[in-house]
Amino acid sequence: MHDHLYDGDLLVILRHGPHGSSWLKEGLDAALVAAAFGRHVSLLFMGEGVMALMAGQQAGPLGQKGTAATLDMLEMYDIETLLVDEQGLSLFDLSCDELMLEVTCVSSAELARVLSGHRLVLTF
Amino acid sequence: MLLHVVNRSPATSRTYQQALAGMSADDRLLLIEDGVQGALPQLVRHYAGLEGRLFALKEDLASRGLLGRCDASVQVIDVDGFVELTEEADRTVSWY
Amino acid sequence: MRYAILLMGAPYSDQASHSALRFARALVDRGHHLEAVFFYHDGVYNAARLAAPPQDEPHLVDAWASLSFEHQVSLQVCIAAALRRGLLDEREAARHGKEGTSVQPPFELTGLGQLVDLGTRCDRLVTFGP
Repeated sequence: MHDHLYDGDLLVILRHGPHGSSWLKEGLDAALVAAAFGRHVSLLFMGEGVMALMAGQQAGPLGQKGTAATLDMLEMYDIETLLVDEQGLSLFDLSCDELMLEVTCVSSAELARVLSGHRLVLTF
Repeated sequence: MLLHVVNRSPATSRTYQQALAGMSADDRLLLIEDGVQGALPQLVRHYAGLEGRLFALKEDLASRGLLGRCDASVQVIDVDGFVELTEEADRTVSWY
Repeated sequence: MRYAILLMGAPYSDQASHSALRFARALVDRGHHLEAVFFYHDGVYNAARLAAPPQDEPHLVDAWASLSFEHQVSLQVCIAAALRRGLLDEREAARHGKEGTSVQPPFELTGLGQLVDLGTRCDRLVTFGP
């Protein structure tokens, strides 16, 4: 069990992959700002959101920046609780080693506990 | 106890599955907008296990001509009831 | 209780802003205080000064402005999301060398920090997405 993962000020649930829409970037921006303001922020990559962590991402064909660089900054902002939903990983047949950052896998059983442990939950 | 709000139909989106995955045993689920389609008898099976904890917004059912077709297991509430649900829950989480 | 609303859908394109407005009015009618509505993602379009829906359709921009005046609700629009989508106030229009403005007063362009602050200060924050 990962007790320290369950509690925090803000849980940002990221449910969209990179490039296809602005949701991922906008969710990450909100998380970074909250962390900059001193909140304890956890990220939960859920469903398609696990694609945000694919290694080897690039800029878009029109020069769209994407979100890989932002994710590299998480540590600098003290966002250390990076959770990945197990179902999302299996949906894309991914393992944690293929991801660009170190994450903690959360089972379906633990998901609800993560949500209830944070003072505020925002979904993107 | 959390209130989860889903605005998409289980017939067209898998968003509801994520909401269900995030729900604890005493959490409640409110269907609004196109999500009220989930209150229909042929779609409410997607929400099995939420006895007494599943709600649908009346005005969204009414505007879609679904008011009389709601499954008996779904509690139909008006917008005032929506606010009340958010008062009673510690937090509200929206899935869209 | 003190409420805040996070709105991320544009008027007309989907129902989010309609649901948010209905909820906002209902919570005020129940005696709660709506501290602010924060507009993010496509929700920034709710601040569009030049929105001109037909007379027989709801005018969301005006409705938010009325709610703000009647109940002292702060209408806060994420500046980064707004600029990308062409919603500029006087200051930003001048800064970017644009003629005219596209943000309806009393909507204000602010930073995401305000959203974080609302989340901390208010008893309830309810999100309406597309």
